Amino acid sequence: MAKTYAPTDLIANRRLYWIAAGLAVVMMAPVLWIIGLSIKDNAELMRGTQQVFSAPYTVVNYLNILKSSNVFGWFLNSLIVALGQTVGVLILSSLAGYAFARLEFPFRRTLFVIVLFGLAVPEQVVIIARHQMFNWFGLHNTHIALILPGLSSAFGVFLMAQFFRAIPRDIDEAALLDNTPPFRIFWRVLMPLTLPAQATLGIFTFLLAWNDYWWPLISATKKEMFTLTIGIASSQTNFAQSEGLGFLSAQAVFAALPIVVVYIFFQRHIVTAVSGGAVK
Amino acid sequence: MAESYRRSSWKNMLFVAPYLTAFVTLLVFPLLWGMWLSLNKVDLFSGAKFVGLKNYARVLADPVFAQAVKNTALFVAVSVPSLVALGLFLALALNKTTRGSAFLRGLFFSSSILSVTIVTLIWRVVFIPGDGLLAVLFEAMGWTPIGFLSTKGWSLFSVGVATVWWCLGLPMMLFLAALQQIPADLYEAAALDNASKWRVLTRVTLPSIRSTIMMVAVIQIVMQFQLFGQAQLMTNGGPAGSSRPIVMYIYETSFVRWEIGMGAAASEILFAIILVAAMVQYWLSTRKEEA
Amino acid sequence: MSAAIEIQSVTKRYGALTVLDDISLTITPGEFVVFLGPSGCGKSTLLRMIAGLEAVDAGEIHLGGRRIDTLAPGQRGVAMVFQSYALYPHMTVAKNMAFGLENIGLEAAEITRRVTEAARVLEIDHLLDRKPAKLSGGQRQRVAIGRAIVKEPMAFLFDEPLSNLDAALRGRTRLELAQLHQRLGATMIFVTHDQVEAMTLADRIVIMNGRKIEQIGTPMDIYHRPKTRFVAEFVGSPAMSMLPVAAVTAESVEIAGLGRIAAQLPGLSGFDAAGAVLGVRAEDAHVLPADQSGLPFTISVVERLGDRTLLYGRLGTVCDLVVEDTGRSTAVAGQTVSVGFNPAALHLFDAAGRACDGLGG
Repeated sequence: MAKTYAPTDLIANRRLYWIAAGLAVVMMAPVLWIIGLSIKDNAELMRGTQQVFSAPYTVVNYLNILKSSNVFGWFLNSLIVALGQTVGVLILSSLAGYAFARLEFPFRRTLFVIVLFGLAVPEQVVIIARHQMFNWFGLHNTHIALILPGLSSAFGVFLMAQFFRAIPRDIDEAALLDNTPPFRIFWRVLMPLTLPAQATLGIFTFLLAWNDYWWPLISATKKEMFTLTIGIASSQTNFAQSEGLGFLSAQAVFAALPIVVVYIFFQRHIVTAVSGGAVK
Repeated sequence: MAESYRRSSWKNMLFVAPYLTAFVTLLVFPLLWGMWLSLNKVDLFSGAKFVGLKNYARVLADPVFAQAVKNTALFVAVSVPSLVALGLFLALALNKTTRGSAFLRGLFFSSSILSVTIVTLIWRVVFIPGDGLLAVLFEAMGWTPIGFLSTKGWSLFSVGVATVWWCLGLPMMLFLAALQQIPADLYEAAALDNASKWRVLTRVTLPSIRSTIMMVAVIQIVMQFQLFGQAQLMTNGGPAGSSRPIVMYIYETSFVRWEIGMGAAASEILFAIILVAAMVQYWLSTRKEEA
Repeated sequence: MSAAIEIQSVTKRYGALTVLDDISLTITPGEFVVFLGPSGCGKSTLLRMIAGLEAVDAGEIHLGGRRIDTLAPGQRGVAMVFQSYALYPHMTVAKNMAFGLENIGLEAAEITRRVTEAARVLEIDHLLDRKPAKLSGGQRQRVAIGRAIVKEPMAFLFDEPLSNLDAALRGRTRLELAQLHQRLGATMIFVTHDQVEAMTLADRIVIMNGRKIEQIGTPMDIYHRPKTRFVAEFVGSPAMSMLPVAAVTAESVEIAGLGRIAAQLPGLSGFDAAGAVLGVRAEDAHVLPADQSGLPFTISVVERLGDRTLLYGRLGTVCDLVVEDTGRSTAVAGQTVSVGFNPAALHLFDAAGRACDGLGG
């Protein structure tokens, strides 16, 4: 029987799709491998990692993580730092984005261009000087030190300015005719309309802060101030010797879990943040 | 003259003041201070001493730095085209509204949300000799095992594999977003014009997203020049510095050997290299457009 | 609650571009005034200047005897209905109406009273707890009007409020607006580019074009006694036809290249016919019976509207003309007929586009 012509055929291609599906399997193989290792007993793995393919499986490695105080403390540090940075970025970016999008003040355009140039500065160029600055104030090995540098990111300002620009000016004007003072227009009328944007920027900032490596590596040098990312890195250095492959793998899975959960729930926002900001 | 509600006012600056404070103290000042540091001899105990461009001379004369530049350039030259090509391929394959492609899109992007330490941990248990996934596979196939992380050439390659695996999601998503901006009637017009799939791809799709391809390439060049964590955690730059990237050189100089001035100089050089590379890429693609 | 609006020599510039030039206008209390003009004529800008959304570069605006162009928008005592309605998307209908009253610290009981009353009048009581996204276009319109009513302003400003409604709803809302004006007796200014809205709603129409006011008058004034060629051509559908004039006397006009037609032009003297045109509305031109002679008219398109028929064609070889015929017209395209004109309803304009006194009826 002849197949009815389907217009989408011109764009999509079934063969490409199946190749992509095959790639997905290759892509997931390492992940399945590490999950497999994480549910095997360390002693058994010493005899060879082929043991992964046969029972018995165990959760003993995960129980050991919960028992070791380090990982839990690191988790808490990561949470404090990521949440702190997220709240800070949301407040600063919303205020600045609103002002750049809606208010008139001296040097508005010049300042916005300068802030946009900030997007182009790689972390490497500022990190040494930052390290010195925080040293002057004795801030290293504090949560504040881990939170602050992220607040200078221009991305949020840029994103929020775009979102505020997308709100019709009529709404502000109606509020003006309704006798609304400036801050109340921002807070009561426009802010509620940017909630989707706040969610997008918030989750994106949270992920970046949670995964940050370079800065916490040099700022948090005391073991109890490690973030989860740095903590996991520190246990990698004595790789496969003291703690065993199974325990190490369980650590990786455990550290990935919160972020994977965030991803599953907020996938749409994360994708908007990474693609929306760039394509417009 | 009457006042307008949109009048310019210093008071409105209060809204940007908090961010600008953070911007100036944590970005602008460190940027300038970093430049100043690069002109000074600074170490942990004594203060700064102005030495002019001596730090730059020392960095440029350092064979370790030269090797790091070579490694990084090679890494960028291979990883960026791979990322762009794979990302574009996946976007074209998965630009559909079906559940299956939505799931695969989510899967391919999922690795990007992991931290570098988790990514490297995953790939180390793949690459380690004897116990790694590849070692097990090679043994099952009866092939000679390769020391992926400890052999010259293979080590940087392994870092590259982990990097492509980690970073693939962003190019794919950016390409997908661009593909969705192409108006459907362009394809309808092409269909009425009897265009083959290949011609539709090369004459409609690719030209429509040319600026995105260019943007993705620049973003990836800027990002991959900053390779650090993967190399440090997987190979620690080895063997014999054959996988040490520039940022790792900066890290070791500043925070292991505490030659802060020299590290700052190296970071300024890296900044310059990134800017030049991004500009060259931009120039090349715009020149092609005119031809 | 209604007040006079006085606009005195108001000018508006955007950089080097002047969009309104020395505009003066007085609106009496309770009057319904429509600003009518093509897009870009500055009518919305003038309205927004009254509201305080645009700065006044020169001149003054007074409302109820008080100078308002120096005040913030919220303090002027005006309410505005926007083209897009501009409802607050995250607030319920009740909250949308109450928001402005809360801002001025009105007591809760009074707010509730006004909101309930306005909702009752506009028949939106059952929608008070809904958010704007859950309303139809017509309902949003009513909420926007309600938000204006509860403020009990001295003047209402409408910025093309009907243009987002479909044709049927627009007609109904037009009637309701007229009723609302009668009931409230408030001063209202209404901006539109739709002449039907202007004709049906206005006590007086202000026709604007190219930075200036062309004419101010009642709808019938504007239609029957256009002061300029622009007004004559802008108002009325189909547009008035313009015939080139060769010479003029008190009893007749000579159409260039065609001949004389009768016209009542009392008191006309010393008129310079160079560049002048004679305006004829379709209803003032008619097909003559076969035994009467007039000017030759070649029909190119016949538009049958049921109650009447419009004939589009050329007068001789000189100019385009539209002629109205009865609904039972037998005219066909390609036919050449004789046409005559109502001598009492012709409009003579000089080369500068000004209407000549003593014309029209």
